[in-house]
Parts: sequence; structure tokens; C-alpha cells
Amino acid sequence: MSRPVRLTVNGAPASFDVEDRTTLLDALRDELGLTGTHAGCEQGACGACSVLLDGEIVRSCLLLAVQAGGRTVTTIEAVGSPGRLHPVQEALRRHHGLQCGYCTPGVVLTAIDLLERVADPDEEEVREALAGNLCRCTGYAGLVDAVLAAARDAGPGR
Amino acid sequence: MPRTEDARLLTGLGRYLADHDVAGLHHVAFARSTLAHADIAGIDVAAAATLDGVVAVVTAADLRAAGARPLSHRLAPPYQPLSWELLAVDRVRHVGEPVVAVVAASRAVAEDAVELLDIDYRELPPVVGPAAAMAPGAPLLYPEWGTNEFVHLEGSTAGVEEALAAAPHRLQESFESHRVIGLPLEAHGAQGSWDPARGQLTLISSAQQPHQLRSVVAEACGLREAAVRVISPDMGGGFGNKQHFTREECLVGMLAIMTGRPLRWSADRTEALTASVHSRPQVHHVDAGFDDRGRVVALRVAVTSDLGHPVLYFSGIGPSLVTVGALSGGYAFPEVGWSLSAVATTTCPVGAYRGFGQPQAHLSTERVLDRIAQRLGVDPLDVRRANLLPAEPRPWRTYSGGLVDCGDLHAMVDTLVAEFGYHEWRHRQAEARSAGRHLGVGLSTLVQGTAPNQHDTAARFGSLETAMVTVLPDATVTVAVGTKSQGQGHETVFAQIAADALGVGPEAVTVADGDTGRLPYGQGTWGSRSTVMGGGAVVTACRRLRARMAAIAAHLGLTLPEEGPVDADVLAAVAATAWWVQHRLPPGVEPGLSTTVTYTPGRTNPSADGLQNHDETYSSHMTAVAVEVDPATGSVTVLDALCVSDCGVVVNPTLVEGQHQGAFAQGLGNVLWEEVRYSPDGQPLCATLLDYTIPSSLDVPRLRVVHQPTPSATAGGFRGVGEAGLIALPAAMVGAVEDALSPLGVRLNSTRLHPPAIRAAVRATGWRPDPAAWAAAGLEDRRR
Repeated sequence: MSRPVRLTVNGAPASFDVEDRTTLLDALRDELGLTGTHAGCEQGACGACSVLLDGEIVRSCLLLAVQAGGRTVTTIEAVGSPGRLHPVQEALRRHHGLQCGYCTPGVVLTAIDLLERVADPDEEEVREALAGNLCRCTGYAGLVDAVLAAARDAGPGR
Repeated sequence: MPRTEDARLLTGLGRYLADHDVAGLHHVAFARSTLAHADIAGIDVAAAATLDGVVAVVTAADLRAAGARPLSHRLAPPYQPLSWELLAVDRVRHVGEPVVAVVAASRAVAEDAVELLDIDYRELPPVVGPAAAMAPGAPLLYPEWGTNEFVHLEGSTAGVEEALAAAPHRLQESFESHRVIGLPLEAHGAQGSWDPARGQLTLISSAQQPHQLRSVVAEACGLREAAVRVISPDMGGGFGNKQHFTREECLVGMLAIMTGRPLRWSADRTEALTASVHSRPQVHHVDAGFDDRGRVVALRVAVTSDLGHPVLYFSGIGPSLVTVGALSGGYAFPEVGWSLSAVATTTCPVGAYRGFGQPQAHLSTERVLDRIAQRLGVDPLDVRRANLLPAEPRPWRTYSGGLVDCGDLHAMVDTLVAEFGYHEWRHRQAEARSAGRHLGVGLSTLVQGTAPNQHDTAARFGSLETAMVTVLPDATVTVAVGTKSQGQGHETVFAQIAADALGVGPEAVTVADGDTGRLPYGQGTWGSRSTVMGGGAVVTACRRLRARMAAIAAHLGLTLPEEGPVDADVLAAVAATAWWVQHRLPPGVEPGLSTTVTYTPGRTNPSADGLQNHDETYSSHMTAVAVEVDPATGSVTVLDALCVSDCGVVVNPTLVEGQHQGAFAQGLGNVLWEEVRYSPDGQPLCATLLDYTIPSSLDVPRLRVVHQPTPSATAGGFRGVGEAGLIALPAAMVGAVEDALSPLGVRLNSTRLHPPAIRAAVRATGWRPDPAAWAAAGLEDRRR
């Protein structure tokens, strides 16, 4: 049985009818066409499907779409564009913090979440924050460098 | 130079397999065997077929009726005969083997329908592990073979036995590489659509080798190759896991034809972990003879390889064949003999993963050299120096016919010693030992074959690559290439190669790969081949075009140099003339500015003695790691790691470093955390990323990389780099951990360096830790 869900996605109202069992991940991808959020494990382990829910980082594969009703979701599609990258995205590009790019949207959102909470993280804090975003390609070196650089470039008072 | 592909990947605009929705798209789910070994007594599809939203429920019999053809490994004797249909017929031989396919309007409904299937299994005894497979009276996977041994092969130089018998010292050991999985973060999948009017099947697949996949899918579906187009879109990793041409990809093609609907199969993580491709399980029984200086005078290795259920299109035997050809690596072992017993078991098929048989060979050679050092009481570095290839001659011909063209390995070792601070680490180790701490240093002096092929064995793996380069009328450049990036950054690398050869800026070049519609044929990406082979094709095509451009320019009274940047106005005039004003072209010059090159370095042809050099070139990588080990808990901390790398001409140092860092992380994962495990009855015990744990950002320190390039003789001078770190690291890490624990007398003979394995090895020496530390270790175990 389907039921209607109304929510805010990337700053705009959105609605869809989904079965109760539909995950937020599947609804974002299939109902709204926001394919930047990726299914890595659908078991809550890899972080590829990370989105912001009311400003907090969550795994969209572990939430039902109906749970997002009335709430605010931010996906990678709202963060920068190819011609105008967000500073975190620009830093990842400059420091080779991605290879295949499959984990990358989740990494970008997690890093943004970290920098919202901690103005000047050290390497350990960055590694801790990214520990829930598995990357099979990079060995994390470029990824950690990028987040540290993004924090540095944002400057004091962020 | 940052990568051109990054802007789309960073903003969620990459288009991976599951991002190709089309109107009317249906979804495929598979009922997979729940037992390791069983007869299929019956399949009742009635309840599933009548579920709302279900379009088709398909068994092997339905496929046969629709014209599907079986696959086979295409190997001649002495390999056992083997063919298999796309879905299991009458019997299943591993948990996860596909039995029934369901097509439905949504993935959820397809999975619901799978739950409604009633498959009646009659359980047969499982066969888990090569020892069980080869035990007298073992149940047989294929009774017609009369054994579970898929193949037994042997090879040897002439004097192995005599040299072993005469050797001043002998060493007899067994070394094991355990079962792991490549695990790209995007699991495998394919999407098919059938155009009945044109008789054309389009298959989008997350595949490393689109052209060969087209050959296989066409064969399985009973189509001409020209009737199939395969597109590999953006890929979320591959690592060999997406190299085999799977039953599922062929099934998606057949189901699209049978139902007339566009449809997609996208593997979930459990399917990927239990029913795709595993890798590495081998045991080596090693017999080495050596002299007082630590020089190996003869090496004999008996390899037992677990192939799992060997239903892979190019059989899982491939990596094992590489293993038995790579046992001398970069060493001048004068006599080498080997045997290979490759065994079928009722487990997931075993096949490709980054390194492809070389890590297992490298483990044995490095372990042998470490053990020789221990026996003689000398530095393991000196044992390596005593055995490394001399600077000349090149190529150095190996026991297996390899024509090793690497640079000066001794100079690379000198760099390793200086840059790693080898002697300083030995000093720190001595200090730590006197303080009761356990530091160790491990070495790997690797020469890796790259751009390989196995002519006449692994069918349809040629040693060529194709590129089409075009300078368009507006002087921008398109490059199409037959390799397939899975995240390595080929769009950037090939743009740089083309730009450099043509004398234009890299921003003028657009690179496309992964589409059989763009190029006649290609060989895809695997075996550290892309820069060597694809780069060779691109550079050759560009040089041809540049010669044509120079001739046209001269005819127009303009100057276009043989090398270096080309003036933009000159290029614009040449391009416009080439395409639009043929009467101004010099006589005999081909009009237009486009060329397609099929390139082979040509170094892998069989020689008169029946041996074959399997690699177009060789790269070298000298690695050292320093670790600290807690013998009480078994935990390993990497303190430092450095690689001196010769991958030939370096196009983009950042991307090469990325390859090393990524392979380093996978190598650490391989030894410290990852293991695919089975229960005794053949049930997979790793079905999620919570029980198959890959490294996180907390686990991987930085590898230091130093380049010491020696150009190869291939076009462009490249040598390849993708697999090196993962070949090197298990051997280096086992050496380092054993070195750390050597005061306790610990010996490590397998790639398992997980805490329980290390604690077991420590316990075996009789050493007993402080009880408080054991309590902490117990907590650690429960946490894992």
C-alpha cells in the first residue's frame, strides 16, 4: 500500500507516494531522480547513501521514506555544481580525494557536516568523522588532505 | 593536473549503472542456491508467476527453449571439460548459484516473487577447501571427471632436482594466501534493452571489458556480435571483480529479448559478497636450496589452488597460471620448478582481483628470502641484493619464458634504503626491543609483469589496444579508447598523453571509453595494462596525425614542429583545410584528421621452446614497511611505509600516487581484516560489510611514494602501476610482523595477520602475556 509523503528536498517542496517499506534512498533516487545518492551496501555500513536530514548526516538506506515526511533533506545535488564547486568539493578535486567517485557524494556531505560542527579539525578528527564512509579506491590519504585543506582555507571564524 | 572526470563525480552527476532509468524499466532478481551442493528435484513457480507486477519467471528450461546457449571455459585438455547454462540445471554447486530469474515492475516485487518460489533441493555433501576436495572418497562436483582436480600441470628448468640435491642448505615450508574479494563499492549489474525491429540488443554493464563482454553475450544469446552493443558507464570500482563475463550479464540480455522490456539487474551487497568472484586461495609447498651467501640455487613450488565452483567464462584458472609463471619475480633464481593442482570446491567461483595470481607467488619468494636470512643470521636486505637480477642483460629471460625489461633493481634498493631510512629503522627496532616492544621491518622487492595476456589459454584476451584520435574542424580533439576506466582517471591520463603528443592543451581533448559502438574492438582494463596499451595506442595515433598535420602545414606554407606545442592558428588552419578544403592538401595525404590505431608492443608471442613471455613490459616497486605488534592482543600498527616505484614514464604523478595509496589500503585490508570465510557445510559467513570488514579512514596510514622511472620500450615508455601495491604489501606485511615477533620465535606462514591469527601464532611459541592484556584482547574480539 502506498501513502503520500511531503517533505523539503534541496530547498524545494517535494512529494511522492511510496510503499511503507520504501527506503529514503530508493525514494530519492526513484521518485525524485536524485541519483547522486548511491546504494553501496543497503546495510548501513558503507556511508555511500549519506544525506543530511534536518541538517544531520544520516544513512538514507536505513531510513524509510515515510520517516522523512515533513522534514528537510539535503542531497549532493544541492552542493555545488560542475562549474562552481563547493570548497570541500574543490579540495577533494585538488587533493585527488576521489577515484571512482561512488563514495564521494557521501564523503562530501559528511565532510561538510564535520566542518559545520568543528571549525578547525585536526587529522584525527577528520579521520574519525570519515570513518563511516568506506572508500575502496583512494586509501583515504587524498581524502583526509582535502578535508584538512578545506577547513584551513575556510579560515578562522567559520 | 586535477582530473577532468572529477567535476561530475563530485556533484552527484556521475552516471553509474543504476542511474540509467528509462520508460518502462523492469527489474530482475535471482533465486540463488541456498545450499552448497544439492540436486534440484523440482521448481514450483506458480505463486511467484501470479504475483501482481511479475512479468516473467524464468528457469534454465525456459532459457533453453528461448535459444540461450551454454557458456564454457573454452579450455582444451588437460583441463577438465566444463560448460554451464546461464541458470543451474538439475544441480547446484555453490551457495549463490543462480537458479531462477524473475522479471517484475519493481525490484521489491521481483524480490517478493523470489521469496514465493518453491525450489525443492536434495542436499548433497559439500566440498569446502582443497584438502576436502582431494581426500579419498570425496564427493565429486562433476562425477564425469572422476576427481575434483580441474587440472594438474607441471613445469621445470632442466636442473632443479640436481641443484636442490647439491644445495648447501635446504628450506621446506608451506605458505598460504587466504580467500578475499575485490569488493568494488558499486556492486556489479547490467541493464538490457532489445530493439526487435533492428534486432539489436543494448547492454549497459558495469564491466571492465565491454568488447569481450559483447563477444560472450552475443554467443550466449545466439546473436551476431554486430547485433549487440555493450556500454560500460561510469564505474564504481572494478578491481578485477567486474572482469569476468558473468552468467547474470548474459541473463539480462536473454531476459530483455524474451520479455521485450528494458530491464536491470543491480546486485545487492550480499549477492556481491557471496555470489560474484572471490580471489587468492592458494597453498604453496616450497622447497628451496641456497648457498652460504643466501643465493637461491633452486626453487620448487607445489601450488594447490582452490578454484571454487569454476564456472567463470575465462576460467578461474587464470590467476593460478600467472602464479606458477611468476615465482622468480625480480630474482635471478637459476633453477625453478613448479606444479599446479587446481581444485574445484562447492564455494563461490574464484577469479580475478587486482594482482591476479602475482601476490601469491610474491608471498612465497619473499618469505623464502626472509627465511634464508633467518637461517643464515644475515640482513634480509642483503639476501635480496644477493638474488636480485643483475643490471644486465635486458631482457632477462625467466624460467617461464618471461622477458623482463625492468630497470636497475639494485639502484632502486639503494634508494629504498636511503629514503625509508632502513638502517635507522633497524636501530629503532633494537632500541624498542631492549624496551620490551616489538617493532619489525618487512621488505618487498617486486618486479611485476604488466599488460599481460594468456594467448591460447584464457580465450579472447588479446594483447592489443585500439584508439581513435580525431582533430575536429575547430581544432578540438576526441579520443576513443578500448580500455575502460573504473575510477583510475583515464579521461585525464589519455587527454594528457594525446595533448602532449599533438602539441595542444589537455583541455582541448575529450576522452571516451567503454562503448563498443565507438571502436571496432578493445581489450578493456585489467592487468595494469591501460596506460601501457591504451596509452601506446593513443600516442601512436597522435604521432600519425601529427605527421599528417605537419605535411599539411608545410604545404600551406606554415610551420608545425615535430615536437612541442603547436601554434593555435596553425592548427586551426590545418584542421579546417584537412576537413573542408581537400584541393589544398599535399598530394598523397589522406584527407581529414582522424585515425584509428590498433597497437601491440608485440613482445608476448610464444617462442620456439614453447614458453611465452606473458607480459608486454615489467614495472618494479621496492617497498618497506615498519610495524609495531602487540603480542598480547595481536594488534598491528603500521609505523611507516615507503615504495620506490618504477612504472616507466609517469604521465600524471598524482594519479600514480593515487594508485599506490589505494592498492596499499587494499593490501592492508587483505592481511589485517579481510577474509571470506565459509562454514564447514559450505555456507558463506561473510554476507555484509559488517562481517567482511574493509579498511576505513581510521585504519590506513599514508604510504610514501618515490618515483625512479625507467622508460620502457613500448610506445610512450609506460610500464603500468595499478596492481603493484597490492602484490607487494601482503608479503611485506607478513615479513614485518614476523620480524617484529621474531624474538618470541613466531613464524607466520599465511597472509592472515588478523589479531586472532597473530595471537594463535604467539601462543604456539609458548609465550604467555600478561593476563590484563588478554582481558583487553577478549574485549577487542567481541567488538569485532
